[in-house]
Amino acid sequence: MSVWRREYGRPAYWFLLPALALLGVFVLWPMLRSLWWSLHDVDLLAASRQRWVGLDQYSDLLSDARFRAVFANTALFALMVVPAQTLLALLFALWVNRPEPAWRWLRVAFFLPTVMAMPVLAILWTMLYQPATGGQMGPINAALVALGLEARDWLHEPALALPALAVMSIWQGVGLQMMVFLAALQALPRDVLEAATLDGAGPLQRTLHITLPALRNTIIFVVSVTTIFAFRLFVQPYLMTRGGPAGSTRSVIQALYEMTFVSQDLGRASAGAMLFLLVVGGLTLLARALAREERA
Amino acid sequence: MRPRELPRRSWLTGVGALALACHGGAESRRTLRIWAHQGQEAEHAALRVIARAFERSGECAGAEVELSFFPDYHLTERLSIAAAAGDMPDVFELDGPLVARFVDAEQLAPLDRLFSPSELDDFLPSIIAQGRVDGRLYAVGAYDSAAVLYYDRARFAAAGIEPPNPTGFVWSELLAACEKLAASGVQPLAAHAGETNDEWFTYAFSPLLWSAGGRLIDPSGTRVQGVLASPANVGSLRAWQELFRRGFASNAPVDPDPFGNGEVAMDWSGHWMARRHQARKGKDLGVMSLPRFGPDSAHACGSFCWSISARARHPELAERWLRWVTASETGVRALVEANGAVPARRSAFALFPAYRELPFALFRQQLEHGARPRPRTPFYATLTREFAAALRDIAHGADVASRLIEAEYHVQREIDRRLPTRREPG
Repeated sequence: MSVWRREYGRPAYWFLLPALALLGVFVLWPMLRSLWWSLHDVDLLAASRQRWVGLDQYSDLLSDARFRAVFANTALFALMVVPAQTLLALLFALWVNRPEPAWRWLRVAFFLPTVMAMPVLAILWTMLYQPATGGQMGPINAALVALGLEARDWLHEPALALPALAVMSIWQGVGLQMMVFLAALQALPRDVLEAATLDGAGPLQRTLHITLPALRNTIIFVVSVTTIFAFRLFVQPYLMTRGGPAGSTRSVIQALYEMTFVSQDLGRASAGAMLFLLVVGGLTLLARALAREERA
Repeated sequence: MRPRELPRRSWLTGVGALALACHGGAESRRTLRIWAHQGQEAEHAALRVIARAFERSGECAGAEVELSFFPDYHLTERLSIAAAAGDMPDVFELDGPLVARFVDAEQLAPLDRLFSPSELDDFLPSIIAQGRVDGRLYAVGAYDSAAVLYYDRARFAAAGIEPPNPTGFVWSELLAACEKLAASGVQPLAAHAGETNDEWFTYAFSPLLWSAGGRLIDPSGTRVQGVLASPANVGSLRAWQELFRRGFASNAPVDPDPFGNGEVAMDWSGHWMARRHQARKGKDLGVMSLPRFGPDSAHACGSFCWSISARARHPELAERWLRWVTASETGVRALVEANGAVPARRSAFALFPAYRELPFALFRQQLEHGARPRPRTPFYATLTREFAAALRDIAHGADVASRLIEAEYHVQREIDRRLPTRREPG
């Protein structure tokens, strides 16, 4: 070690410098700045007008039922989206993992919503969910009525709005996770699967005992990335429900955005962002710990 | 192998030359930075033409005009970021109700000496009221807005409703008309309760609250407790909620123009739909002021207006631009032709013969008599967001009193938390 350090230590630091400088400027400095703001009442429009408030904004946010609710909403959304989206993505990947060219079209079809702009999809799904008022009705409600079921106001009933956004988000995001699974599936060694077939293992046994264990790290990756994406929920509620009804779909990012740009309350938004960072950072570390366990 | 070293001197010379070039470029010709909202295509094309004419005129004194557009909802964000970075444009548009907020943050230069008393008299009173904070003028617009109730004369006749007076319905008359229209099999009213822009709710429905003697915030601009959820407001909004509860208006419409498309008989809307409705309805188009509770209407007004940065690099040029863009011939004419808004200058009405007749004549009349700007408080953005959220929930059946008390609580909480910093000397 000491020999390495003597021989290469100084040049190594110089080589590290560009990366460290970039990290410092684009990661560390904004975080420190945000931390500083979070301890002050700062007006975005008049940033020179600052007042030290210590941890007041943190205690205020933590005691604010609405802010706790946006965390709860976002976590609930993640709980709905992450397992369902991961499972569906895996099922789709297993389904479309076939060499015939026709299946490529199905893969493209599943992947298509991922590349479409979310605001466009938000408008599309608002139309699909349209309730039966004013002589108009969206296709989903029309289908329900045709089946003899009751039409619902999907985006405006407090118990339905968040699940409705979750369904739309799963539909939108499942294609990307499917592609990740598909890549992992196609990298599976064929000889192991063929050997299992020769040993008399059926399709279900091959999936349960060979494919799934081999995909463990991919599953952990997909779950952690989907969790982070789910926690960054913003466009869907912002455009489709505006966080309503009764705040049931307001997400953390929407709350932070509104604090920053509507209330122009930079200090409070920074405190909120710090709390958000703690939660998402904690989840990421947890996923890393799980992945490390596998490698060990 | 060692990489070949660049001769140090040539490096420094290069950087120095670049810096000099940039510096020299900025100095050689003054640049007036103007920021505006994007608006419709015709509107920003018109503003470009106005800017080019200004540039070519003697008023610009050879300076260059750098005109930047931002989507309407994005303009305030960009201005906030620019303010935080100390990089405000010289002159910019902002939405009328935010003038007090920008004044409070000391971002605007007063404009009192920019116009003579006779010029100020030429502006609609609503424009002056919108731009004046604590007795000083900080913003003037080239145009204003008006909210009205359009109706379909043929549908009214078929339902047996007497043609109303342009002063509009009192609430009981509106309900009676809705009942008759519903009985005749027509959806009565479009209230655009699905609008995603918060401002729609405050803009379109505050006049109803005002007409019953209600307010959104007290005149000091710092107290909503006991004001927003006043018995008058609760009563007004319970009546308003009835429109949705009884199915007279959709609380989740998807069609942005059900009136124009012939699906509903009345449209709670504004000047921006006048040309389109006229083209579609022709002689069947009727218009009146918005429904009211009391004997007098209080009318909505307000739109984008121009301000000069308190730290403008070229304040004198900015003042000239502001005079240019708000003058009838050089600014108002082209903008109003493009966006169909109501001219801000009385002298400009002569350029628009349509204002001799309805519906346009009603817009002007409302702005001359009884128009009232939305509350001028530094906390307007929070107030309007909370009010809009409450109205959305109320349209979907929330209990009016408790929902208003909740909105009141959150606005007051923010005001109380942030007021001490504002009161400290900057």
